[in-house]
Amino acid sequence: MLSYILRRLLGIVPLFLGITIISFIVIHLSPGKPTSIEQALNPRVSLETRAKLDKIYGLDKPLHVQYVNWFSRLLRFDFDRSFRDGRPVSEKILERMPVTITINLISLALIFLLAIPIGIKCAVNENRTFDKITTVLVFITFAMPVFWLALLLMDLFCIRLGWLPVSGIKSLDFDYLSPLGKFLDMSKHLILPIFVLSLGGLAGVSRYMRSSMIDALRQPYINTARAKGLPEDKVIYKHALRNAILPIVTIVGLSIPGLLAGSVFFESIFAIPGIGRLFYEAVMMRDYPLIMAEVVLGAVLTMFGNLIADISYAVADPRIRFKGNEK
Amino acid sequence: MKNKFLLIGLGMAAFFILVAVFAPFISPYDPTAIDQDELLAPPSRSHLFGTDSLGRDLLSRIIYGSRVSLSIGFVAVIIATCFGLFVGSCAGFYSGLLDSIVMRFVDIMLCFPTFFLILAVVAVFEPSIFNIMLVIGLTGWMGTARLIRAEILSLKDREFIQAARAIGASNARIITRHLIPNAIGPVLVNATLGIASAILLESGLSFLGLGVQPPTPSWGNILIESKSTLGVAWWITVFPGLAILVTILSFNFLSEGLKKKFG
Amino acid sequence: MSNLLEVRDLKVDFLLDGRAFRVVDGVGLDIREGESVILAGESGSGKTITSLCFTKILPRGARIADGRITFNGIDLLGLDADALIGIRGKDIAYIFQEPVSYLNPVFSIGDQIAEAVILHQKKTKREAFALAKELLMQVGINDPQRVLFDYPHQLSGGMNQRAFIAMALASNPRLLIADEPTTSLDVTTEAMILDLLMRLKDKNKFSLLFITHNLSIAKRIAERVYIMHKGRIVESGDTKEIFDSPRHAHTKELIRAYEKIGRI
Repeated sequence: MLSYILRRLLGIVPLFLGITIISFIVIHLSPGKPTSIEQALNPRVSLETRAKLDKIYGLDKPLHVQYVNWFSRLLRFDFDRSFRDGRPVSEKILERMPVTITINLISLALIFLLAIPIGIKCAVNENRTFDKITTVLVFITFAMPVFWLALLLMDLFCIRLGWLPVSGIKSLDFDYLSPLGKFLDMSKHLILPIFVLSLGGLAGVSRYMRSSMIDALRQPYINTARAKGLPEDKVIYKHALRNAILPIVTIVGLSIPGLLAGSVFFESIFAIPGIGRLFYEAVMMRDYPLIMAEVVLGAVLTMFGNLIADISYAVADPRIRFKGNEK
Repeated sequence: MKNKFLLIGLGMAAFFILVAVFAPFISPYDPTAIDQDELLAPPSRSHLFGTDSLGRDLLSRIIYGSRVSLSIGFVAVIIATCFGLFVGSCAGFYSGLLDSIVMRFVDIMLCFPTFFLILAVVAVFEPSIFNIMLVIGLTGWMGTARLIRAEILSLKDREFIQAARAIGASNARIITRHLIPNAIGPVLVNATLGIASAILLESGLSFLGLGVQPPTPSWGNILIESKSTLGVAWWITVFPGLAILVTILSFNFLSEGLKKKFG
Repeated sequence: MSNLLEVRDLKVDFLLDGRAFRVVDGVGLDIREGESVILAGESGSGKTITSLCFTKILPRGARIADGRITFNGIDLLGLDADALIGIRGKDIAYIFQEPVSYLNPVFSIGDQIAEAVILHQKKTKREAFALAKELLMQVGINDPQRVLFDYPHQLSGGMNQRAFIAMALASNPRLLIADEPTTSLDVTTEAMILDLLMRLKDKNKFSLLFITHNLSIAKRIAERVYIMHKGRIVESGDTKEIFDSPRHAHTKELIRAYEKIGRI
């Protein structure tokens, strides 16, 4: 197992290189220079100043030199400054990260808490009523655009019923509330976003759990468990589950790209100040340093997510943890 | 036919395709025509889905929107499938260094959250229908590439291929006789799922204002307006979204049916 | 000597797409106390399903249509679920073919044997593990302390089968059903496992029902033989009789098949 982990860790290096190269290429494919919008909007910028700006951003150098410069700054976590307000990009990202991370973590926890029991119940009741109904619901959820659901729910719960606040993560009078009040206020703001974010994941993971469990229940060792005299719930929840849950372990890591993509949408819809919304704003403003940083960040997070997924699986499955050696 | 999914999926998908193709004949109004007496009107006999705040008939806009969404979905998937087949076949046939490099490339591309990449590209190149088709296609080919490569590799190993070669069968013959029949199923399944996800991606992009630009109607950009009419005009939120939902559902059914058919 | 197990007119159906296929058609057999009996037949003859009926651990879609199974005077088919569970593993135990598939890959050998112990005897985890170690020694495993903590995929087929036997005998069952336990093992290992089974049978005094398609094994370990073909018992009798004067065509086929390979 150790050699496997080591190999995976080493594999990160070329992946990271590739990610940065592609990100760089994509941004610099633009027909105009990254600075052209800025300058175009400001007719008083003379050719001289443009040349100066080009120099500052290193845009007068050949592409591969630009890449190396950018890459070396990346390694030092220097993401340059935002075009929009001149603030360091890393600062902007860091201040928005906690919100996104919190929401996504809560969402992940919710997904697993619900999806696993649902998946198990579907498998145990394969093709019976509960399973059939859940399958229909899963199909619909897979086909539903997340942002549409958000709109519908906002319409119903925020505007027509007035139960929940429409946007943001805190009310205007947040600072004047008691700690409990603050907690409740934040919860009210976050219920809808978290629900919408979790729904897709819930459908997917429960489906996965279902098929994993169905597989496990068909294995020969389940026969043995019954033949031993184990009560049915032990057969299901100890023998089958322990096997079925192995691949699920990887899902936590693998859901990262999906969560990131989703966050762009619902953070915009619900006006939540997270990195998804930051990315959206950067795209709207053509704020290239910020865009590049977020693309690289997204890819790197995904890469680590995959890595964690693989390693968790290697650790959890005894067949990989201990290499088989015939005696 | 016992394959209900296939039947229903095919039927529904065909319905939407027909709507898109025959839009000018089916649509009750011109999608840009303004009816000044009926601004933001609820569904009525003259406007079955109601009107938007500019007085345009929603049903017509949705019908024309299907043209945009479906064509983007199909073209994007065609691009993705062709690119994926090409890349995957190269990797599978030529093995060795080319294979490793290509698969590394696939791994790298798979690290990018698709949507992030698409947004970044849209930021760099202005959003046009063609650009959107291209970028959705170029971020969705990896699955097909892996698939076709796996098929080729497994075929290479099979003994009857060596036997066929021994009697002088050419590469082309092997491809047509063995590769295509085996690979076509999974590739089709992937493609139909790809159409569904392409439509979803396009509608998301358009909703964010980075996809199809108004006044060209797309289901996604019609929903932009619903943000400001929440609670006031439910039809602007419900109908476009429903169109997306049912279309995607039909392609999902179709892919399930194809999965059952091709095992 | 009384019958430990009596099966009369057992009929089992398999339900597929709403239609019922009869896979066991009126099977009857007896196993006496301390006896060793072989149930032989080709693949698909219904021998495994028959044996699974004794404790009703049938696969999905299988249904007992008719018959009586009496164990120690108790009507097995009339028992409720809880009572059946009480008998499984405790009075009637099984060992299967390909132990690596029939052992749970994510639990250690020690865990799985201890589980069987704790299930039917009131012992603590520590006591159960100690007993497991003992049992492993009894089945001829030389390094039981290490094997206790090994996982099935780390052991050879022979070792796994020994561990499986240890697990099956943990609670001293009266009847051990061995369903093709040596079919996937090489000849040498097979001989050792058969030896082991015979030794343990003499020591612990249980009855053995050995299911196989290899009739030659009967000569080595069984007093009586039942030949099964297409869901029915087509011949039965003492081992010597069956080999000296087989009556049914299928019996003759089975004997001939193994004679050819030189295994009889």
